[in-house]
Amino acid sequence: MIETGIPRLDDFLGGGIPTGKTLLYYIEPGVEGDVFGMQTLYHNLEKGYRGLFITSTTAPEILRESFKELGFDMSRFGDNFAIVDAYSGIIGSTSDERYVIEDPSNPSHIDEVISAAIEEFSGGTITFGSLSTIIDMVGEEKALEYIIKWNKYALIYDTVGIYNFTAWPYSPETLEKIKNEIFNAVIKVGGISKRVVYGQYYGILRVDWTEKVEKAILFKLVRPGGIKAFIPKILVTGPFNAGKSTFVHALSTRAVSVDRLGTTVALDHGYVEHKGFSADIFGTPGQERFDPIIKLLGGEALGVFLIVDSTRPEDFPRAVKMLEMTSRFGLPYVIVANKQDIKGALSPEEIGKMLNVHEEAPVVPAVTTRKEGVFEAFEILIDMVTGG
Amino acid sequence: MLCLIGDWKIEGYSLGIDVLDQKVGKIPPGSNIMIVGPPMTGKSVLGRMFFYNRLKDGSAGIFVSTKDTGEKVIDWFKTNDLDISRAKYGIIDCVSRTLQMDINLQDTDRIRYVSSPVDLTGISVKVNDLLEEFWKKEQIRSIGVVIESLSALLMYSNLQTVFRFLHVFSGRIRSVDAAGMYLIEEGMHDPRTQVTLKQLFQGVIETKDEGGEKLLQVIAPGCKVSGWFRYNFEGAKIDLKEI
Ligand SMILES: Nc1nc2c(ncn2[C@@H]2O[C@H](COP(=O)(O)OP(=O)(O)OP(=O)(O)O)[C@@H](O)[C@H]2O)c(=O)[nH]1
Ligand SMILES: [Mg+2]
Repeated sequence: MIETGIPRLDDFLGGGIPTGKTLLYYIEPGVEGDVFGMQTLYHNLEKGYRGLFITSTTAPEILRESFKELGFDMSRFGDNFAIVDAYSGIIGSTSDERYVIEDPSNPSHIDEVISAAIEEFSGGTITFGSLSTIIDMVGEEKALEYIIKWNKYALIYDTVGIYNFTAWPYSPETLEKIKNEIFNAVIKVGGISKRVVYGQYYGILRVDWTEKVEKAILFKLVRPGGIKAFIPKILVTGPFNAGKSTFVHALSTRAVSVDRLGTTVALDHGYVEHKGFSADIFGTPGQERFDPIIKLLGGEALGVFLIVDSTRPEDFPRAVKMLEMTSRFGLPYVIVANKQDIKGALSPEEIGKMLNVHEEAPVVPAVTTRKEGVFEAFEILIDMVTGG
Repeated sequence: MLCLIGDWKIEGYSLGIDVLDQKVGKIPPGSNIMIVGPPMTGKSVLGRMFFYNRLKDGSAGIFVSTKDTGEKVIDWFKTNDLDISRAKYGIIDCVSRTLQMDINLQDTDRIRYVSSPVDLTGISVKVNDLLEEFWKKEQIRSIGVVIESLSALLMYSNLQTVFRFLHVFSGRIRSVDAAGMYLIEEGMHDPRTQVTLKQLFQGVIETKDEGGEKLLQVIAPGCKVSGWFRYNFEGAKIDLKEI
């Protein structure tokens, strides 16, 4: 077994990657995913395996520096680590690396060098720093043929193949093959975006040696340090007495509130794990004097629940104001139409109209005291956050 | 996509050249515009003045430089007495690490380094970082983006590759209601290149040189049709006359 060295991922993969198998990081353009392959390589060098890195977008010296910035000192691995230089040929400079692809436009030449390298690094790992660049140089169809061949080679020589792949808009057939056919495991590295990308996550798209775990892990990139998992914050806001604290407690596996005389004076805090997604939940106080807290948390949060009391339209202008405060950060939100059990409660549609939100904005009916609608709302928000 | 209440409205982006702004009007938010023409016709000045105008009016600017180093771009503004020191901007420098082989360059607030012009993934990562910074931290909703120039990218990557990159890039510009300007040298690429890339853009600013006389026109959606203008430029100044 070769480990990925990415937080929690090895557990999800049943311990790591069996020898002879391949794993591809399927990276959304604009997300800093190249570090995944680098971290996996470094992790295994540290464990004493030999490792090879194919660079096609960066000069070897600069690449070594990028490793160093991550806190990965490659100089201590001696001959156990080598670079295949597929870059210098592109910009027309020379190279001192052990393996050089002098003519990157010649597919059979690329193939020759890479095949030889796989053979020599038998029992170790071989990391493609940017498979997309190789596809770009060789052409989609040809590249796929070669990749299949390299993967066979890896199997024969007990090498583990690791690929970084930026999912540019290639043909749907190519993307489909990459996602679902050619590699033994595919890890999606995606951005959480609502207009701008403000968070990043990874999760398993495919794995053929163990059961697939459906979990999304949020991560931050730290230099030095590499990829670090973290738990996102989700904000629960809404007017006074709408049911925010009740909502936080209903959703959470554990929760605390700081209340005085039944109203929240500091924060409700809970932690939820549901359908492979975990989050820290923060409930804000409803009273206006606590608004600065909302602003403070809004900058940190990844999503917002707006709880409204469906029987109190007189509070809606206040709800709109609170939503404006949070939406300044461009966060996705779900409106929870609470207290649907009380007679005369307005319907979610009516509430959406009265709040003057876009007709597609989700308004979820709920009775938080009975936990009804609570997890539905959570799932909708998670879908929005992770792009469905 | 959902629409938030209290959503912002951006009027549009002026080009930053007086006569043009009066005659042409503003470039609508979400537009991607190609600036195309032969060498030495002031395309850079047009791109840079567009960038400067963002910084002047309190919006933010992103400048992707594939030709000059970030330092050199900043110097240009200084030399031409255009003060950008207090503005919100970021320059993505795709040159320094490759050409100067300077491995110790660290990102600064102003200049972010990409390892090479081949590293299109790196460019889109840095652009995303800056967009997020401007949007979330600075809460700026009006952002102008300039790529100077596509021609340098096309030297190292093939047309297909650059097309795919720009497809994603221009989509991002659209989704944040920014405006993008993309410079491309005429005559440096086969005609197919320009035609292919044109599909990605909503408008074009065309320059030409007719026997020493420089002409330009702006064709963009939502803009009044401009027709050709005769112009001269020196430093950062563009003098424009209608024909
Ligand atoms: N009938 C009914 N009552 C509810 C429901 N949800 C909450 N309540 C009641 O509404 C009252 C306020 O609930 P909280 O959860 O404390 O409301 P809050 O929004 O945290 O209030 P503040 O922190 O004071 O702003 C409590 O008495 C709850 O029992 C519901 O779905 N149905
Ligand atoms: Mg409360």
